[in-house]
Amino acid sequence: MNRAALKDIISIVVRLTVTCLLAGAVMGATFVLTHEAKERNEQARDERVLYAILGYGDNRPQNMALHTVYRYVLAREDASSIGYVVPVGDGAQSVVMEVDLDGHFVQHFELLADSARLRNDGERDRAVIAALNAGMHAQGESTIQARYADKFIIATQNGRRNAYILDGKYPGFKTFIRVKMALDEKFSLMGFEVLEHEEDPGLGAEITQPWFRNQFAGKSYEQIKKLQVTRSPVPDPWMDVLSGKITGSEAQTIRQQHADDDIYALTGATISSRSVLQGNQAMIRKFVTRMEILDRVLKEQHIETLF
Amino acid sequence: MANTLTKPQLLGRGLLSQNPIFKLALSMCPAVGMSTTVMTGLMLGCAVLFVQVFSSLTIALFKRQIHPRIRIPTYTLVIATWVTVIDLVLAAVFPAAYAQMGIFIKLIVAFAIITMRLETFACKESVPDSFVDAVGMGFGFMFGMVVIGFVRELLGSGTILGYDVLGFKPFMFFILPCAGFFVVGLMMAFFNWIEQKYRERMANKS
Repeated sequence: MNRAALKDIISIVVRLTVTCLLAGAVMGATFVLTHEAKERNEQARDERVLYAILGYGDNRPQNMALHTVYRYVLAREDASSIGYVVPVGDGAQSVVMEVDLDGHFVQHFELLADSARLRNDGERDRAVIAALNAGMHAQGESTIQARYADKFIIATQNGRRNAYILDGKYPGFKTFIRVKMALDEKFSLMGFEVLEHEEDPGLGAEITQPWFRNQFAGKSYEQIKKLQVTRSPVPDPWMDVLSGKITGSEAQTIRQQHADDDIYALTGATISSRSVLQGNQAMIRKFVTRMEILDRVLKEQHIETLF
Repeated sequence: MANTLTKPQLLGRGLLSQNPIFKLALSMCPAVGMSTTVMTGLMLGCAVLFVQVFSSLTIALFKRQIHPRIRIPTYTLVIATWVTVIDLVLAAVFPAAYAQMGIFIKLIVAFAIITMRLETFACKESVPDSFVDAVGMGFGFMFGMVVIGFVRELLGSGTILGYDVLGFKPFMFFILPCAGFFVVGLMMAFFNWIEQKYRERMANKS
């Protein structure tokens, strides 16, 4: 190899390295300057969506409190189980309720972490694993692995439960649709919001339209289980109510007439409409089963919670 | 190599005679995929304009330091850096706009039009000329996207900027990705026809 070629190679390597370092520095600096604001924006957006699907606008209720329950999949050497991280006492403490896959209580662990610390994903994971394994070592058993699955929020008004808020993700026509949903204390659907989707604009993307989403609002748990998608056109008065053109008592009467209607599919997007319905149904069914198990277990073990 | 065109000519060239979409036929994938409405076209256009201007400036500034054998990797790095910066800043400062544009911005790294402007112009010309050229090309791209978006939104959804103007949906076909090719093709023919007429008239005059 001659000298000139070697010099060329070194020059290329040095220049590329310097370019990469500079690019990295610029991107890193921007990230450091902006990531806090970005996180704040995302939290604010999450909160706005949350209150919107609960039916509150800008004037938020005073005596409302939100309690988050985190669900973990616990894996031992021989079996898996589910761990629910539930806030107890005045919110300064939590317990991990371990329930096996058939819904029977296994044991519970104390978790010394307040709700603010639990909100941080990394800290919560560490706290849960530490709590689980502190209990296990005393019994001389092997360690338990804990993997975060999802979370749901229980809203209380003056200490009485009045809503559940769940996050979910299910397949749409193309990729996943991510939603946030509110159920009332009897598991009727209060409303849901599409947070992310990649359906076709003008077709499947219409799932974000208020009139389409409003069809689900007010359906009871029993109704939801049996709902179907129908391709017949939406009756005009019902459409006016769903899109908010008619309000007040007139809307109430029309709403009652259509209370048992199936979900009217979006024109040209039957598959997206059906995906949303089936996704919502599965989300609600799973959640209700989990919530019933958790409530029963908490009651059996006489654990006082804030909700 | 010095540039012989004046600045207004550079600016106008990007908009009309060398419009990225209708004349150069570059970055057709986004033109077809993201031009279903005027708004998405406009937003993608804005994002491309910013990335194009910043990338062109960077390359024009550092053109002497770039080794000719690694031009393309360097361009890609520069574009990727600016795309990331704009992505982060938008997410932090304009969360509402970002919620709609976020998905498009990351795509810009792969846009042929930006790399092509860096390769054919910014790496040879002065900083001010590169700036004007980038602005022209950026606006040219935006103009193309808005025109295609206008046709597709009007014919496909019967709306303009989300406002219902027709009251019905004439051809749903125009919303589908394949219709984008038809619209782009028809637009190209239309612009070529105008140019031809213009040339003929100029020839007749002289």
